[in-house]
Amino acid sequence: MTELATTVWQGLAAAGLGAAEGWGVPPAVPGPMWIGLIPALPLLAVVLCTLCAIFKVKSKLPAWLTVGCLAASFVVTLLMYLNMSGSPMLSTAFTWIDVSWGSERSPRNLHANFGFYIDSLTCLWMLFVTGLATLIALYASEYMSHDVGKGYSRFFAAFSLFVFSMACLVMADNLILLYLGWEGVGLCSYLLIGYFYKKPSAVAAAKKAFIMNRIGDLGLALGIFLIFVKFGTVEYAKLFADGAFKEMLGHAMTGTSESWAKIPWDVKLIPILLMVGAFGKSAQFPLYVWLPDAMEGPTPVSALIHAATMVTAGVFLIARTYAVFQLSPSALTIVAIIGTVTALLAATIGMAQFDIKRIMAYSTVSQLGYMFAGLGVMTSVGACFHVFTHAFFKALLFLACGAVMHGFAGQLDLRKLSGVGKMPGWRIVGITMLVGCLNLAGFPLLAGFWSKDMILAQAFITPGMGLVGWVLLLTAGLTAYYTFRVYFRVFVGPQEHHPGDEAHGHDDHDAHGHGGHGHDDHGHAKADHKHEAHDFHPHPPGWAINLVLVVLAAASFAIIPLTFMGKHGGWVGDMVSHSSAAWSAPGEHHDDHAGHSHAAGDTHSHAGESSRSHDEEKLGTFLGMDPHAVMYYVSGVVGLIGIGVAYRLHLQGRTSAATSRADALLPMLGPIPKWAQNKWYVDEFYHFLFVRPLWVLSHIFHLIDRMLVDGLVNLAGILPRALGATIRPSQSGQLHGYAVAMAGGIGVLLLIVLLVAR
Amino acid sequence: MTMQSMHDKILELWPELVLFAGTCVVMVMGLSPKLAVRRMCAPVAGAALAVAGVLAALTTPEGRGLLPGLMPFAKVVVSVVGLAMLLLLDGTVDRTEERLIASGQPFNPLRTNRAEFYAFFLFSLTGLMLCASANDLIWLFLALELTSLPTYIMVTISRGGKAGARSQEAGVKYFFLGAMGAATFLFGFALLYGATGTTNLQAMKEFFAHAGEGGGITDLAIAGMLMSLLGVAFKIAAVPMHLYTPDVYEGAAAPVSAFLAFTPKTAGFISMILLCSTMGWTHGAGHSLPDLVRLLLWVMAALTMTVGNVLAILQSNVKRMLAYSSVAHSGYMLVALVAGPGSGRGITDNGLAAILFYLLSYGLMNLGAFAVLACLERRPGPDGEYREIETVDDLRGLCKTQPALGWTMVVCALSLLGFPPLLGFFAKVPLFTSAIAAGEIVLVVILGVNAAIAAYYYLRLVAMPLLEEPDATLPPAARTPFVSRPLAAFISAASVVVLVAFAGTLMREAGEAAKPPKATGHSNAAK
Repeated sequence: MTELATTVWQGLAAAGLGAAEGWGVPPAVPGPMWIGLIPALPLLAVVLCTLCAIFKVKSKLPAWLTVGCLAASFVVTLLMYLNMSGSPMLSTAFTWIDVSWGSERSPRNLHANFGFYIDSLTCLWMLFVTGLATLIALYASEYMSHDVGKGYSRFFAAFSLFVFSMACLVMADNLILLYLGWEGVGLCSYLLIGYFYKKPSAVAAAKKAFIMNRIGDLGLALGIFLIFVKFGTVEYAKLFADGAFKEMLGHAMTGTSESWAKIPWDVKLIPILLMVGAFGKSAQFPLYVWLPDAMEGPTPVSALIHAATMVTAGVFLIARTYAVFQLSPSALTIVAIIGTVTALLAATIGMAQFDIKRIMAYSTVSQLGYMFAGLGVMTSVGACFHVFTHAFFKALLFLACGAVMHGFAGQLDLRKLSGVGKMPGWRIVGITMLVGCLNLAGFPLLAGFWSKDMILAQAFITPGMGLVGWVLLLTAGLTAYYTFRVYFRVFVGPQEHHPGDEAHGHDDHDAHGHGGHGHDDHGHAKADHKHEAHDFHPHPPGWAINLVLVVLAAASFAIIPLTFMGKHGGWVGDMVSHSSAAWSAPGEHHDDHAGHSHAAGDTHSHAGESSRSHDEEKLGTFLGMDPHAVMYYVSGVVGLIGIGVAYRLHLQGRTSAATSRADALLPMLGPIPKWAQNKWYVDEFYHFLFVRPLWVLSHIFHLIDRMLVDGLVNLAGILPRALGATIRPSQSGQLHGYAVAMAGGIGVLLLIVLLVAR
Repeated sequence: MTMQSMHDKILELWPELVLFAGTCVVMVMGLSPKLAVRRMCAPVAGAALAVAGVLAALTTPEGRGLLPGLMPFAKVVVSVVGLAMLLLLDGTVDRTEERLIASGQPFNPLRTNRAEFYAFFLFSLTGLMLCASANDLIWLFLALELTSLPTYIMVTISRGGKAGARSQEAGVKYFFLGAMGAATFLFGFALLYGATGTTNLQAMKEFFAHAGEGGGITDLAIAGMLMSLLGVAFKIAAVPMHLYTPDVYEGAAAPVSAFLAFTPKTAGFISMILLCSTMGWTHGAGHSLPDLVRLLLWVMAALTMTVGNVLAILQSNVKRMLAYSSVAHSGYMLVALVAGPGSGRGITDNGLAAILFYLLSYGLMNLGAFAVLACLERRPGPDGEYREIETVDDLRGLCKTQPALGWTMVVCALSLLGFPPLLGFFAKVPLFTSAIAAGEIVLVVILGVNAAIAAYYYLRLVAMPLLEEPDATLPPAARTPFVSRPLAAFISAASVVVLVAFAGTLMREAGEAAKPPKATGHSNAAK
């Protein structure tokens, strides 16, 4: 353990030295054209699935087409990664927007290619986006099998469209294309949450997600506008090389109040606006309430979009424009605080829920809070590392929960299921679920442990962020508790199960087993298990689901060695620190750093921070100890305590699915569990604060619409006749009327022109 | 002064001459007692158009005139859209007549309209091509009238039976109001002549360019220009000369309405471009037209868009809705006319190119929408009359009853609305960009708002066929027995999708067509 820590430690120290080169993205070089295949292949899948829908294909063809295209896209991404050089690559598919205006002297130009900016950050994101998308599409081929012929093509078309949009978002070489992708993933999220469009709760959840995201997107749009207005470009390469931008960055680095004053207030506003966009997409407080509801969508969607990829777009945005975030003295502090608040709040809600998919959803919100806190305390490496590991184990967790839901007719209540992992055919699900849970709980030496540590340690190091660190540490304990609450209740313990009620839930499940994946003997009609629940046979997952679970579990182990490859933060750290998300002060010299490279030897980010304060004494500690040295032990112990408490309360001595020892403790806590279970009434609060007033307002508008617009329509019917009656006494006067009106119109128009001109 | 010799001029007029020859042949063939010969009218007209189009494409601009590249481009566009129109016009006239003949009555040359109809169709397109060749005010006037006069008659004879009364009323209205419009721009032309002493457009441009040297833009010239533009506004159905549009479009048969939405409008815009070119977009700080002219076009554009769109919202009759939307589309293009040819920095700056590209796109997508209407009819009622599909409700559930036509309507309506990635979107973008480049930001905002308003009624044309269920109480609409009409619909729907791939090329071609000649004005002015 100590040795490991030292190894990592030295890597981190070396990174500190690397930081001395100063921030500055190397000039971009032209990249190969075939990079365009990465978004093009998913788009091809969209077209093919649409054709399947048009020709009413009644087989699993759309799924195989999707899996094939996405796998090919993943292979191209791998090639792209292998082709990476030190400099970012620019590859243009075609000229997209090119508008120029203004006078000869001050020409303005809005230029945005449909082009790709490929640096290691892009590679990192695309690798796990396309890789996970391929696996989850394979999983979905079985999971959605009951919908073959009905919504199957629609599902995979939207699924592929999501991957295309995500590729646009991540690979864009300008903010407008990023915005296109941003909206694209939002649209796909809407389409897929509302996939069961006959179910009112799914429709409501889809709308909620879409509308909540509007708020964030408005911020993002305004931020992009402001960047264009202030720096005259939306292209990353030009923005990062812009003279004015670099000058302001220099002011920000000096860090004195005079130098801050040299940055205009509207430039300082840019990161705040971008941040709002990131909060919306990544479900941060106060815009997080859509994500738990988004679980109405099919589970593969929850796994890919609402856990692994789309919701990390906010982290990506901040990482991509990390330099812009340095331009405001407060933006990253706000990010850290909001991230921490979200992490804690979502964890407390997650502890009191009974729906295992919702628990995972709140856990996603909570982990996203971690990532934001990581960005806020200036460890973009830690944040991205956590995104990366989280993508694997959270997808795994969702898919395992999905397998349960698939097999138990939509049952998700942890009080209705027990000992699932021991049932025949469910062993793989049980084991892989355990792997995912251990990762999420931060069990020592697993991938989730390393990435979480990096954020925690940095929170204690960064001056003024001590409280953030403590709260995150507490949250780590809560996370371990609620994760293993699910595991101990559902997957181990006495065997017991009650099938879910599909009648108003997943009407898609009613034809279970008829989907042609070899479980026809378990087939049962909806009515059967309503009335004869004891006859219910859960049907264990088939090969596709099991394969994907095993691959993901293996992957979550396979990424552990990556932690020790490369210099700081492992392989991921290498990737991040060679991208625009790397951070250190421009013009800072190697020597300045050598003195405290041990203490500050964390990441580039720290170099920026220390130069900002120019005082290494201010660096935080953990109870007087070096956070990096002790955090491994501390967080490991905290995680184990959480697991231990969960074991004591939810497994030890439990005889049935519905009760546990924890129930006895509840009265002692007073109303708090109830509040937490009701999600601290945030939804009700929003309903009171925004939905009600808007509802009233919309009814007022509706009345106006009825009276004014409909009135106009009626008037339009009456007016010609009334006019006719007045200005044309003879019956053939319509023609005269037109002629008079035209002549009058000419007169009026000439009069207007003359009056305005003179 | 350099006047083109008659010989040179005629060399450029081969397409028009071919069309004229075709007209004469069609006029005779349409009166033949043999049905087979009479039926050859449309193919002959088509052949003439095709040959004219090829000849136009082969013409190399000689670098003369106000816009040397305009002629070939406009003529090719006219023949391409004309061919599609021809497919749609099949069966418009003589339907009753042929039924009578089939029932044993002898052929009566007095009762057939076929000869006139196809001849006037070609005449009108000839006039349209001549507009593009115009280098003189008198020429321009005659060409404009040659475009319009045949359409008055086409409207009048476009429907038979009981509906004939409506088309005749529409034709009469159109004729008288058209005469008034013609009188207006002729008055303007006369004033222009009075101000400059010449009817030659090139000479007029040189006169305007030399302020203080016995030339320049006088008040009289401005007055002439304003009246000319107001008069030509009738052709493009711009406010305040738009009042005839809904009545005439509604009264005429759907194929003829489609023709009206393209032909006079194109002629009008080409004339406006030529007229404005004489004064040039080089006045004032923002490099625009002379203040008053710019202001007129500005106000006209804003009013035309808004009035067209707002009134279109209120329509339940599809033809009236499309008529008002045609008014609105003229408003969009006027925005680019205000913007002018731009600085030549980029292709997207050129408003004139934007207009030419938009005319082509609008011609095709509008054709598709009207073609769907022309393809459908209600079974004869108790009076034995076929009824045209007219109201929006008639389109209910069309995608289920007539999938191909329903989808054509959906695609064309989306394209008219400017929905990406259809042709209408790519046509609309240059209108925006050219106006932004010219600094007409307020006008761009109005344009944007109007594009949004247009969504309101165009989406009804999308939602009705696509989302609604067919009306069970009515018998479903049937197809008219003319094979080429659906063909026209599908061609236009396909082109709306396929031409997107060539949008860049088309836009570049339009840019070439709208490129002003090299500045050689000063050497010529010495004469």
